[in-house]
Amino acid sequence: MKFIRVNMNEQTINIADVPPEYMGLGGRGLTSIMINAEVPPKCDPLGPENKLIFAPGLLSGTPLVNTSRISIGAKSPLTGTIKESNAGGTVAAALGHLGITAVVIEGQAPDGELSFLRIDANGDASLVPAQAYKGMRTYALVEKIFELYGEKTAVLCIGPAGEYRLTAASIQTSDIDGRPCRAAGRGGLGAVMGVKGLKALIVDQGGKSADTIADPETFKEANKVIVKVIKAHPMAGQVMPALGTAGLVAPVNSMGAFPSYNARKGVLEGWEKISGEAMAKLIQERGGNTTHVGCAQCIVHCSNEFVDKEGKYVTSSLEYETIWATGGMTGIDDLDTIARLDYLCDDIGVDTMSTGVAVAVAMDAGYKEFGDSAAAIEMVEEIGKGTEFGKILGNGPAAVGKHFNHERVPVVKGQSIAAYDPRAMLGNGVTFATSPMGADHTAGNVVGEYLEQKLDPLNAEGQVEASRNLQVGTAAMDCTGLCFMAYVALTTPEGGGALLKAINAKFGTQLGPEDVPALGMRVLKAEREFNKKAGFTSQDDRLPKFFYEEPLPPHNAVFTISDEEIDRTFDF
Amino acid sequence: MKVRVTLYGTLSLGVPGYRHAQGIEVELPDGATVNDLLALLEISESQRAVVAIDGRIRKATDKIPGEAHAQIFQPVHGG
Repeated sequence: MKFIRVNMNEQTINIADVPPEYMGLGGRGLTSIMINAEVPPKCDPLGPENKLIFAPGLLSGTPLVNTSRISIGAKSPLTGTIKESNAGGTVAAALGHLGITAVVIEGQAPDGELSFLRIDANGDASLVPAQAYKGMRTYALVEKIFELYGEKTAVLCIGPAGEYRLTAASIQTSDIDGRPCRAAGRGGLGAVMGVKGLKALIVDQGGKSADTIADPETFKEANKVIVKVIKAHPMAGQVMPALGTAGLVAPVNSMGAFPSYNARKGVLEGWEKISGEAMAKLIQERGGNTTHVGCAQCIVHCSNEFVDKEGKYVTSSLEYETIWATGGMTGIDDLDTIARLDYLCDDIGVDTMSTGVAVAVAMDAGYKEFGDSAAAIEMVEEIGKGTEFGKILGNGPAAVGKHFNHERVPVVKGQSIAAYDPRAMLGNGVTFATSPMGADHTAGNVVGEYLEQKLDPLNAEGQVEASRNLQVGTAAMDCTGLCFMAYVALTTPEGGGALLKAINAKFGTQLGPEDVPALGMRVLKAEREFNKKAGFTSQDDRLPKFFYEEPLPPHNAVFTISDEEIDRTFDF
Repeated sequence: MKVRVTLYGTLSLGVPGYRHAQGIEVELPDGATVNDLLALLEISESQRAVVAIDGRIRKATDKIPGEAHAQIFQPVHGG
């Protein structure tokens, strides 16, 4: 249980035991509670007072399956709020195997200076000059890093967008195959990493000093149950390995809730061409992989490898939110274009969602036609080149809306919505409006409640409660390092019981079911407290005006949850 | 009555010869319900299939309108 604090001003590193006030915390719980305690809420997110925190989940580095999520936290330059963005890949497990609870980046290097932070197999950390890699895109960068440090290395890195300090810049992380195709995309945390002068965090995967498990036998038994439950689950065990998250394209379009043409319609004409089913067929025909292991210790295999007509790798993994942002929102119904845009975003280091929506806002403003594939690719290339327009685009949809003086910008607190139109899935609208992160589907996604028929997506009744419960549950889950796919499978009594057993066996605790929502509420309270001190009020928990006024075809619905109801979301 | 059916996710694996572009057409008695349709297609309860018609998810006991196009999914909780 070690903390690594890196002072970028002084270029010094301090390794110490976890401070008592942060004991028992991991993932989002640790990043958010630390930021609330240590970062001045009104600070400049791109100034030296901000801190960038990398925290594997509580269970990362243990033998438990699907525990490879890393939480990255800071004050967001995109939203001005607290931010946690998490990603899969290999780095969470690598840090966990070294017994590292958090890596905290403080201060900032002199302007223009770049470093790598290298953590070796003994857990020793050092800063390495990285000027030679200035401006390098992420795919080329990880190849260079593997030449230097070997392929058994986990990488978190930024591309040019992070160095340009663009507020939609992502932090990319390497997958099992060493590709920087996993992203902590949301909130512009790549810009925070860039301004601090950190090009990459490089962690040896050979660590053998993981924290001990208090009761290894019970832990092993719990893991067995968890594996069984995940494998038997229809979503985690069947749909995810076959289609990945792209399996959502069909149901959400069929429910008229797929925001298309910059949220002018709820169904994309030609959506069948970019559905998970179409994608799987195309990948199979071309000899790619529809089922792929992207993250360490994964048994779900929701990833894929998209290949071109010649069978050559294009990107991994093509996922639902990216297909929506770069396809549905832009009116592009061509998977080859969407895959190319996904690759470019990963390589340049920008969030696929904010970028796709930014392109869509530009198209809606008349800059280019919806459906223009070549224009979309050219626009995203401009981000990588750092042109004036590229920088506007790389600062996200709100910046693009301002540039074109265009009001139809689907963001909350500056961050774009995700692939569920708030007018046709009201509960997701509640989550977008109220999440302390700005509009964020991962904060409490209600789509499963609709598909499980627990709730009517168009009826206001029960939406606030559903969003609240999911936001609380997700905040707790984000502390563990578990991926969402596994978490959904573990919401059954058998799965939930086994998960709790695993946590108690790991830490020697006696936590009960009531402690899970208590943890989620503690995290959300810390996040909301930070935002309040930063100047946010309930008036910021609102969707853009057009969602209340402009009916969405085919249901011709508007967002009908009142402000008073929205403000009850965090009544706890 | 005739009902056009499109299967999504892994549901088509249970229907030999299924072609996604065409879907399948099934014959049901007038007044048949969503449950009747799932039973005819031998889609078990454990697959938690969901039927959408005209943009709305239908309950198991809902009657299927004539000439309907039923889209059948498995729940996915997020992307």
